[in-house]
Amino acid sequence: MFFHMVLERNMQLHPRFFGRSLHENLVSKLIKDVEGTISGRHGFIVAVTGVESIGKGLIRDGTSFVTFPVKYQCVVFRPFQGEVLEAVVTSVMQHGFFAEAGPLTIFVSNRRLPDDMEYQAGDIPSYTTSDGSVKIQKECEVRLKIFGIRIDATEISCVGCIDENFLGIISDPGAVA
Amino acid sequence: MAHHSDSEDDDYSYEDDDDDSEFDEEEEEPRNSRKKRGRSNPDSAAARGKKRKPSGSIFIEDDVIVDDDEEDDEDVEDGFIEHGEADHRGEEVVHRQFHEPTFRSRVGAEEYLDFMQEKYSKPRAQYDDDDDYEGGEELTAVDQQALLPSVRDPKLWMVKCAIGREREVAVCLMQKAIDRGSNFKIRSVIALDHLQNYIYVEADMEAHVKEAIKGMRSIFANHKILLVPIREMADVLSVKSKTVELARDTWVRMKLGIYKGDLAQVVDVDDVRRKVTVKLIPRIDLQHLADKQEGRPIVKKKAFVPPPRFMNVDEARELHIRVERRRDRMTGDYFENIDGLLFKDGFLYKQVSTKSISTQNVTPTFDELERFKKANENGEIDFVDMSTLFANRKKGHFMKGDEVIVIKGDLKNLKGWVEKVDEENVLIRSDTKGLHNPLAVNEKELCKYFEPGNHVKVVCGTNEGATGMVVKVEQHVLSILSDTTKQHIRVFADHVVKSAEVTNGVTKMGEYELHDLVLLSNLSFGVIIKLDNEAIQILKGVPGRTELVIVKHGEIKYKIEKRINAKDRNKNVITVKDVVRVIDGPNKGKQGPVVQIYKGVLFLHDRHNVENAGFLCAKCSSCVLVGGSNSAADRIVDSFSRLGNPKPPAPVPPSPRRFQRADSAGAGGRHWSGRGGRGHDLLVGAYVKVRMGPFKGYRGRILEVKEKTVRLEHEARIVTGKLSPLHTLLVARDAIADVNENVATPSQYNMGSQTPLHPSRTPLHPCMTPMRDSGATPIHNGMRTPMRDRAWNPYTPMSPPRDSWEDGNSGSWGTSLLYQPASPMRTYDAATPGSGWDSSTPGRNYSDAGTPRDANAPSPYQPMTPNSASYLPSTPGGQPMTPGTDLDVQSPDIGGDAETWLMPGILVNVHKAGENINVGVIRDVLPDGSCVVALGDRGEGETVMAVQNEVRLVCPRKNERVKIVGGKHRGLLAKLIGLDGSDGIVKLDDTLDIKILNLDSLAKLAHA
Repeated sequence: MFFHMVLERNMQLHPRFFGRSLHENLVSKLIKDVEGTISGRHGFIVAVTGVESIGKGLIRDGTSFVTFPVKYQCVVFRPFQGEVLEAVVTSVMQHGFFAEAGPLTIFVSNRRLPDDMEYQAGDIPSYTTSDGSVKIQKECEVRLKIFGIRIDATEISCVGCIDENFLGIISDPGAVA
Repeated sequence: MAHHSDSEDDDYSYEDDDDDSEFDEEEEEPRNSRKKRGRSNPDSAAARGKKRKPSGSIFIEDDVIVDDDEEDDEDVEDGFIEHGEADHRGEEVVHRQFHEPTFRSRVGAEEYLDFMQEKYSKPRAQYDDDDDYEGGEELTAVDQQALLPSVRDPKLWMVKCAIGREREVAVCLMQKAIDRGSNFKIRSVIALDHLQNYIYVEADMEAHVKEAIKGMRSIFANHKILLVPIREMADVLSVKSKTVELARDTWVRMKLGIYKGDLAQVVDVDDVRRKVTVKLIPRIDLQHLADKQEGRPIVKKKAFVPPPRFMNVDEARELHIRVERRRDRMTGDYFENIDGLLFKDGFLYKQVSTKSISTQNVTPTFDELERFKKANENGEIDFVDMSTLFANRKKGHFMKGDEVIVIKGDLKNLKGWVEKVDEENVLIRSDTKGLHNPLAVNEKELCKYFEPGNHVKVVCGTNEGATGMVVKVEQHVLSILSDTTKQHIRVFADHVVKSAEVTNGVTKMGEYELHDLVLLSNLSFGVIIKLDNEAIQILKGVPGRTELVIVKHGEIKYKIEKRINAKDRNKNVITVKDVVRVIDGPNKGKQGPVVQIYKGVLFLHDRHNVENAGFLCAKCSSCVLVGGSNSAADRIVDSFSRLGNPKPPAPVPPSPRRFQRADSAGAGGRHWSGRGGRGHDLLVGAYVKVRMGPFKGYRGRILEVKEKTVRLEHEARIVTGKLSPLHTLLVARDAIADVNENVATPSQYNMGSQTPLHPSRTPLHPCMTPMRDSGATPIHNGMRTPMRDRAWNPYTPMSPPRDSWEDGNSGSWGTSLLYQPASPMRTYDAATPGSGWDSSTPGRNYSDAGTPRDANAPSPYQPMTPNSASYLPSTPGGQPMTPGTDLDVQSPDIGGDAETWLMPGILVNVHKAGENINVGVIRDVLPDGSCVVALGDRGEGETVMAVQNEVRLVCPRKNERVKIVGGKHRGLLAKLIGLDGSDGIVKLDDTLDIKILNLDSLAKLAHA
């Protein structure tokens, strides 16, 4: 789920960036540092949308770096247990497949696929139903439900399932091609 | 007498007992008969014997004290093991034993009889009243303490005797005591079933013991008689283990015979005869059986235990083994009878003595249970009845906060949380309405409960230590997705705990660790890819094939510690941790860091490879070093590559060159995007450095370029750097930030409208990322890039170069400032952040820098300029190299100009995006830098157009004809007569001079 929220960060800035464009430097550094990272509680910081306030800078002894407390608005993306997402299959393996939804990688175990889906090895490994009507392979888009999340400091790993109602494949590039 | 009992004992020995529990029944007979004949009357059936004693054996008790004790001991032993009553009985014996002194005075038979009656009647009455354990336990702890032996009590002596003759000795001593009467000073003799080789003799003095055992055949009289310390006396006769009640369906393990250690399930319990019927997976050698039945000579194969296998009746019939089908009288089930053994559904049903099975610490592994399950097709393992599993729970199995589920009783399937754990009972709290919380539930009725998605750690069993996420819950069996191997593990819910940590289970076993290179006993070698509690899985060093072996600890000879280097196909030295790519064999295309090297075999870790924990092995000759020290055969024609290397003659640091390539690809991309719009593709394969976000600073190869996304493969680390759309967005932003500086719109970041990408810039982005790499040599790049841009496309916005400036790390800033004084160019003023760029005409600086150079295009440095694009970049580079500046000292051989040029006639590799690398011969070089290449190593193939950066020089080998494409000898033909690191020794054709030139400036000449 996406959220728009205000976060705070202490930015350290080198004195060479001071001057007329201090503000811009600070902001660009903030964006550089923050976007694309994972903040444990909030998930992926997708984009900084604005700067709320920049506090007074504090010169660090010894280093001459200056610390600015910056409050910024940003869009964060945090997966939740039970959330239904659409994702693109990135790799299919014997014991399940990986799918990506934006920055998030989700593993779907073969135990959480519909019962009639079987792994088909080969050049393009896939999961196929017995009648061959549904085929999950690389690049497919699937709708899945996240049932487990683990958030580390730098990584979010999710496991999903597609063995429930209304879940499963939503577009099949193989069918088109 | 002695003789008699001797002969009896032959069939009543320990060996017999061990032999096969099946014979237990037969055993019983002789034992009883012997005992009867032996007049001693210690009936083995404890209950019976005990009751009969006061009445039936009066004679003995009356006469001989020893006898009495003896008898009791026998009783007790039997009781201990076979009878539920054993506990209190044991205690009683202990008490009595050490309180014998009370009647030591021995005042005549009648008094003694009274005493005995009094003594025995009382506790027995108790026992009879309530056959409960608690009933007998009336003595308080203090009383118990008082009963313990003191210094004044007789002592226990340990006497060594022949193995298997313990009972015989005891009986003989008893007989002796009967014969000798009061002269016999010892008080009791104890033979314990579990103690071989020794008997205990209770006596006041050692001399008494010695006297008693004098002349005994089976006692080693000259052996020292040991005194049992007072403190340990009680232990001699106390029983520690509680007997577990055998119930149907419990899991047990066989203790004896060929089934030793096998898991069995109790089918029937006969308490009276102390027999159980167990269900086993038979270990039967059918062939052997057939031979036996047909009377063929049987070759006795010792130490051969047939593997457990389900009995297949048809198979048996094929071997002409008689199979009878019989109905069991009791249960009405049909059994196949083969050679006296009963089978049903492939299982062997076997009646064994309770002694020959162990009920303690039976932890059936998941696999074992699965095997049992497999057999009875439709049948399921009753996971619900896991009482045996639970019996082995460690203390503190449940912790406060654990989620549990009730598996037995009225509250079955009730879920709750552990509130508090008392000894046996667990207080749980549940959400269910109408229940008073907390509920006390017996520990045995609870099982841990997990939801899919929980992150857990396995705490026992073979997978102990592994962590993962619960994927599926089937009753009490969990499927866990291991964090590290991404494999599924099936475990009992009871064997895991919730955990946040990530481990890959056991990583060390003895001296061997995960990923160690080891030599196996058959002289093959491999890398440990998995460690179990028992087994070690090894990927053998067989290139081109995945050969896995599972070995035991002992099968590993030793760990190979040697660090050996190997050479790749291009004779580059590969060391451990280098990243290589497999270019041959079944693993072709895989890439990863080298983990181990041995005998020319590399073990790589490819994290995309899920099998074998990502390990694969390959011959070193089928690999090439990636991003390592110069894969010399595949160089890039890059006119400014020299500039990228401040010290060209020195061994070239590998990375900058790679970046050059990326850079050029990027530039090319832009170039193309203007016309063909397929610029992104050129980025694929480029080596870039991520400059922001969590992967900032990482370097890797671009795998895929989408409109907004660049997917990177990071070389040496296990992280996939996926640059999210946001990431590229970042790049775009950055450019905007630069522009902003110029245009001064500080409000930008408050405007949401700014967030989206600037579509017009999108095509540039891919180019920008590689630009960042110029961080390695910021100065040159910084200057070069704009020039190129201008030269090629005067309308290119100026932001990208700015980018390079802005993002130069502090080091680069430092350098640039260093250069500043040396440089006469105004461009360098821009080194002050912001200021230089403040001017609203960012182009000005560049034109300053660029234009003059443009003007003197035929500058002395570039006499042969074939195209503006290639020489322009050199311009800024020229600055530092200007004589008089101390910046870049070029090797004199190469001269002031380090550029290399494409020339007709040389052999090149053409690498067009999306196509394979083709060898070709340059036929013509066009003024715009692109060239006409005839494919094929003699140029016989079709002719294609190639942009400069799609073309790479083919590195010449020794003794090959080369064309010098850089330096002051440019254009000359020569022969490569030697190689020295990154330098080549060439002999010029026309002057026959020998020159040492950088290999980069040598191009292989196509065969004429």
